[in-house]
Amino acid sequence: MTSISISQPAINRKKVTIFLLDHVIEVCLVVLIIGLAFGANGFLTWANWMNIFRSNSLKGVIAFGMTMVIIAGLIDLSIGSTVGLAGVIVALSCREFTGMGLDLNAACIIGISLSMLLAISVGWFHGFFQHKTGMPAFIVTLVTLNALYGLAGILSGGYPIANQFPEWFNQFGGGRIGGLSGIPIPALVLVGCFLIAFFIMGYTTTGRASYAVGGNPESARLSGINVGKTKIFAFIMVQILAVISGFMTSGQVMAGTYSFGRGWELDVIAAVVVGGTSFTGGVGTIWGTLVGVIFMGVITNGMTLLNFDIYTQYVVKAVIVFLAVLISSYRAQVKA
Amino acid sequence: MSELLIRTEHITKDYPGTRALDNVTLSFDSGRVHALVGKNGSGKSTLVKIFAGATRSTSGEFFLNDERLNFNSTSDAYEKGIVTVYQEMSLVPGLSVAENIFLGRLPKKSNAIDWRTTYQMAGKLLQKMKADIDPNEKVYRLSMWQSQVVEITKALSFNPKVIMLDEPTSALAQNEVQVLFEAVRALRDQGVVVIYITHKLQELPQIADTVTVLRDGKLVGTVEMSAVEHKDIISMMFGQVQIRSRPQDIQVRDDVVMEVKNLSRAAWYQDVNFKVRAGEVVGIAGMLGSGRTELLRGIFGADPVDSGEVIVEGKVYKQANPIKMVKAGVGLTPENRKIQGLILIHSIRENLCYASMHLTANGWIENKAKRDEFAARQVKELDIKIGDISSPCASLSGGNQQKVVIGNWLNTSPKIMLYDEPSRGIDVSAKQQIFEIIWAEARKGVSTIFVSTELEELLEVCHRILIMRHGKIVDEVNPDTLTTNALYELCMRGEPQNDKHQHQPAGN
Repeated sequence: MTSISISQPAINRKKVTIFLLDHVIEVCLVVLIIGLAFGANGFLTWANWMNIFRSNSLKGVIAFGMTMVIIAGLIDLSIGSTVGLAGVIVALSCREFTGMGLDLNAACIIGISLSMLLAISVGWFHGFFQHKTGMPAFIVTLVTLNALYGLAGILSGGYPIANQFPEWFNQFGGGRIGGLSGIPIPALVLVGCFLIAFFIMGYTTTGRASYAVGGNPESARLSGINVGKTKIFAFIMVQILAVISGFMTSGQVMAGTYSFGRGWELDVIAAVVVGGTSFTGGVGTIWGTLVGVIFMGVITNGMTLLNFDIYTQYVVKAVIVFLAVLISSYRAQVKA
Repeated sequence: MSELLIRTEHITKDYPGTRALDNVTLSFDSGRVHALVGKNGSGKSTLVKIFAGATRSTSGEFFLNDERLNFNSTSDAYEKGIVTVYQEMSLVPGLSVAENIFLGRLPKKSNAIDWRTTYQMAGKLLQKMKADIDPNEKVYRLSMWQSQVVEITKALSFNPKVIMLDEPTSALAQNEVQVLFEAVRALRDQGVVVIYITHKLQELPQIADTVTVLRDGKLVGTVEMSAVEHKDIISMMFGQVQIRSRPQDIQVRDDVVMEVKNLSRAAWYQDVNFKVRAGEVVGIAGMLGSGRTELLRGIFGADPVDSGEVIVEGKVYKQANPIKMVKAGVGLTPENRKIQGLILIHSIRENLCYASMHLTANGWIENKAKRDEFAARQVKELDIKIGDISSPCASLSGGNQQKVVIGNWLNTSPKIMLYDEPSRGIDVSAKQQIFEIIWAEARKGVSTIFVSTELEELLEVCHRILIMRHGKIVDEVNPDTLTTNALYELCMRGEPQNDKHQHQPAGN
């Protein structure tokens, strides 16, 4: 692509620069994959790739919701606590409702529904209070980060609640389609969530309203856009995706543990930022986030295959996030 | 203290397309308050900017006493003792009054901040200004006039030779203005050259010793305040204005599109009543702070109202909001297009279609083809000059940005449009094009409420003008039988100096 632009000087160089800056993460991902294909043994195998998808789907699904929230000019720090709490609620429901004589499957479904209800309530709470009082989303969700974590600890008594789920619940996190070397179900969930989020942000009025609200809330409001509703929608979406991630996480190990998801918010935000979504709001894509999730997954996988120690991995990933933000602030200048 | 004099010789300043100052030679001496007046675009702010080092003149020179001044930056001006107090507050709310006054140059004692001296020095300065303000107080606890006085005190702390006050009373209530005047007089008595920029002519007899009038970049003259009357200054400001005529083919129809009934919002506007007919262009004239912008925002539901209602085509709205008003067929182009009207980082196409989102989509699902069609239609009809419709709105000129704001609304097929200062900061031909748009819509039967600071614009564009003073609609005039000067008089009347006129019949 670069060589074409050089051999044809007629092409607007600024446009090429903008195109490359817009797609810099895709280019980097391709280069990374080619490099690892030659440099790391076992990288380019089916099993390894399915492993990358399986292990990155858990945070990946939340990243799509986080993208929506950040595009709308907001942030949700509480998602990690929701992941843990969702698993605890399902596990507790299975234990308590069967204790009351209910069928295990029914009890599990009640647990799943309660978790969803939780997602909607928490998302609504964030959106309503952020919008009505104008307090920063950072603070509102920091409050729920701690409150939900504490609540999960209280409900579970601080211990993992193991061996309560029905067998099929394991499928969420541990299942595969097509036998032992088949496609992991979390990977399918990731793709499914991607498609839904991609559609919402690209093809619905709510998606466009999110960009407008993040771009300039006052102009959006004066154009007759329902700013409060738009914010509440984004906050609920990210919470629902966190609950889905919670099902996968607890299903994988067949236990509801309050501390699952602890600290995930920063990894999720990192993937979103690497994917080119701007923290100032109004700019970003779901596609970029998918690439960002895969990029972070591939680089972690590659470093593990190359026997980088875990601390080096932290430093490398930190540098990547820094570079991504640097590029996107440079891009903002080129465009303006 | 010795006499000071700041003077210019043949100063000219050209901006692309306009000459902001044209061969201006004038002087201001110390010990007196010099009012600098002129309508928007007269060049008074350009002159202030040149004195403040914020811009350079194209040709000509200026001097402080006999020293020729040559400023490359605002800090050069500070060094020579020329300071400007701008109408926007530059104080840090979380810091104390004293800290604000000495911000960046707090007195030190062996590398630690010497708080005792800081507060003592601040206290002395405030005393000089005859201001009863505690130097320990945090600035966010101060009222508007107190902040303004602190701002002036801060300027005084630089031991200035020249102080320029840019509309210092624009945010103040009547009784607060008197306190501020005390401060300005105290300043004058320190032997400083005081240049007082204002649009409130009624203040001049109280505070100004001389009045200098600029019009269209030219110096009209400097007069002793004691030698002139109010109406003399007005005719100096406006001259003989040629009002262009409005096309005569716009028929105002009989059906009332909007009725505003007893609309009130405490402190902003009270008990406002008027009707707008189909195809009619109604202007609202009033001074800054008369409540005209707030009234428009109240009608549109952008801000809450205390009481009253807005009736659009028979439907009553008591506590409206923009969502309801868009559906009702009302559109508002806000006062500040960049921060209220546009999403600058988003494309021209997007910005043209935000308000009409409910019309281009099929329910919840976007119809991109239809959206593109809507955007392209406005680009064509409003003759918006663009390179690529996908480029960000920030890349457009002011006039084209304003057209995008208007296009965003015309895409909703409004029944009535509210324009708040649509011509602010755009060039003459773009202005004329926007009037053409308003008239073209009026021919289709769209009604308009038009708010502008530019009185000749109101006379040109509107069928009927409502006069707003202190939050009340006090009069209604026919623009065809009115001069700019008379309209200005009407807007100013009722200010304290002119109380005696208040009960006389209006000038038409």
